[in-house]
Amino acid sequence: MNGDGTVFARGLRKSFGDRVVLDSIDLDVVCGQIVCVIGPSGSGKSTLLRCINGLEEVDRGVLRVNGEDLGFRETATSYRARKRKEVAAQRSRIGMVFQSFNLFPNMTARQNVMSGPVLVKGKPKAEAARRADALLASVGLEGHGGHYPWQLSGGQQQRVAIARSLAMDPNVMLFDEPTSALDPERVGEVLAVMKDLAERGMTMLIATHEMGFAKEVADTVMFMDGGLVVEQGAPKDVLCNPKERRTQKFLESVL
Amino acid sequence: MTSTTEPTRTDRHKPDGHEDAATKPRVHRRGTLEYVAWAVCVLVTIGVTRTLVTNENYQWDVVAQYLTAPSIIRGLVLTVVLTFAAMFFGSVLGVVIAVLRVSPLRPVRILAGAYLTFFRGTPVLVQLIFWFNIAALYPELAIGIPFTDISQDIDVNRLISATTAAVLGLSLNQAAYQAEIVRGGFASVDKGQIEAADALGMSRLTKLRRITIPQAMPTIVPATGNQFIGMFKETSLVSVLGVAELLQSVQLVYARTYQTIPLLLVACVWYLVMTVLLSYPQSLIEKRFSRTRARVGNDPVPSQIGLIGDAK
Ligand SMILES: Nc1ncnc2c1ncn2[C@@H]1O[C@H](COP(=O)(O)OP(=O)(O)OP(=O)(O)O)[C@@H](O)[C@H]1O
Ligand SMILES: [Mg+2]
Repeated sequence: MNGDGTVFARGLRKSFGDRVVLDSIDLDVVCGQIVCVIGPSGSGKSTLLRCINGLEEVDRGVLRVNGEDLGFRETATSYRARKRKEVAAQRSRIGMVFQSFNLFPNMTARQNVMSGPVLVKGKPKAEAARRADALLASVGLEGHGGHYPWQLSGGQQQRVAIARSLAMDPNVMLFDEPTSALDPERVGEVLAVMKDLAERGMTMLIATHEMGFAKEVADTVMFMDGGLVVEQGAPKDVLCNPKERRTQKFLESVL
Repeated sequence: MTSTTEPTRTDRHKPDGHEDAATKPRVHRRGTLEYVAWAVCVLVTIGVTRTLVTNENYQWDVVAQYLTAPSIIRGLVLTVVLTFAAMFFGSVLGVVIAVLRVSPLRPVRILAGAYLTFFRGTPVLVQLIFWFNIAALYPELAIGIPFTDISQDIDVNRLISATTAAVLGLSLNQAAYQAEIVRGGFASVDKGQIEAADALGMSRLTKLRRITIPQAMPTIVPATGNQFIGMFKETSLVSVLGVAELLQSVQLVYARTYQTIPLLLVACVWYLVMTVLLSYPQSLIEKRFSRTRARVGNDPVPSQIGLIGDAK
């Protein structure tokens, strides 16, 4: 069975010290599904996304991304850590877009997009450069390949970051508040790129405060609070007719 | 408001021919303190110059005579060579130790930490004398392949000459300080950079070579430049081992002629000249990298960031 583009979790738990940040999280994301994760600050949205691409290690629970146990291999009695190379290969199939872009400042936009294919997959530079230019064009940044991050606006930087992730041909894309650090007039251009990506069938998990975007694009909206998934379902149910008291309160506060 | 482009001022065309108020220079106040400071500065300069010129014990003619004497120049050259050698080996080893210091393997971290503790916790002078006398501790060094008969005994006394001990001592000590500088540079790299590299699946070595080190350079390079200048003066310590560098060269002369002061002045002149010469590229480097650093933020000053990283 091919599990590409899926995220599966059962009873996921993550704590920092004795502070439990994620508690018994279950996920069933199918290929091409768009999941928007909403919730108040500190509810664990970032931590959840960071666990899904292995930036944080979960304490307990099942976590399968693209059909494989992430970072570990299941044995009869335990989960054994995989070799570093295997983990890197798994992660290269999971794209991550950060709130603060995290472009490499010592590289141009093109070099940023090329960095994965060239430095990780060992692709020839010329081929990677052509692909990078095509990807930059697809996020509306034709001709910006030679610019350094500091020469680009926040919205442009974030689109380069998306192109950089896409260059690895990921099956799942994770977005951690991709528009929170942007000027309001720049939010639209990044959301447009994400919408385009969604229409092309990419599996996406998006932590966001953009309720309008969630309503329009998401297949599923997940409301988190205190490390728990409080409510999830179709956007029109969760966002317009929330059943849970906490969801109602949160939505009242943000609208 | 009028729609003319030039600002209109009431005092613009004063009949008495006074200057246009908009173009008048702004004159700043000088505090009394500044005048006092200038007075002190001038007095000190006059005093120092006077004693330098009138006190015959300085013997400037002797200074002039020995400044470019062959033995002194040979000493100067050796000082320069020692500086470059110690900085080269020290920097390379320093980077290695800094990397070991952040190794995921705890025993490796402990060993690197012990190295730092030892070399930073004992005086360089003591270390130098120690290396010079290492033969007392290990008279014979066997270089060979373990568990085979292939081996070669080496007389440590011959191996560790005074110059070798000097380079060894200065390099090993420099490595410890360089490791701290590199570690500081690594720490200055934003955590998000490492996470972005991790998310792409970069290996540890690739991350180090392509992400961490290029971005740590703006912190590392100027600090290393300072070490260079420091090392130039530090080499004078090896005179105690009898290595004929600049200080030892002048000492050899005044041991014979008893012209201690003028010969020490010869050494001072050369040390000063060289450090001033070294300070110039250092200040250029510092400026260049401080700009780079600003650019890493959102400074829209276009300039060659290609200095770091693999810009085409
Ligand atoms: N590295 C860490 N060490 C300790 N605690 C952490 C760490 N990272 C996150 N936390 C804690 O975990 C909780 C969840 O944080 P998380 O960043 O996932 O929240 P979030 O929902 O993304 O919030 P925000 O909307 O502010 O981004 C917070 O209480 C935070 O303090
Ligand atoms: Mg967050």
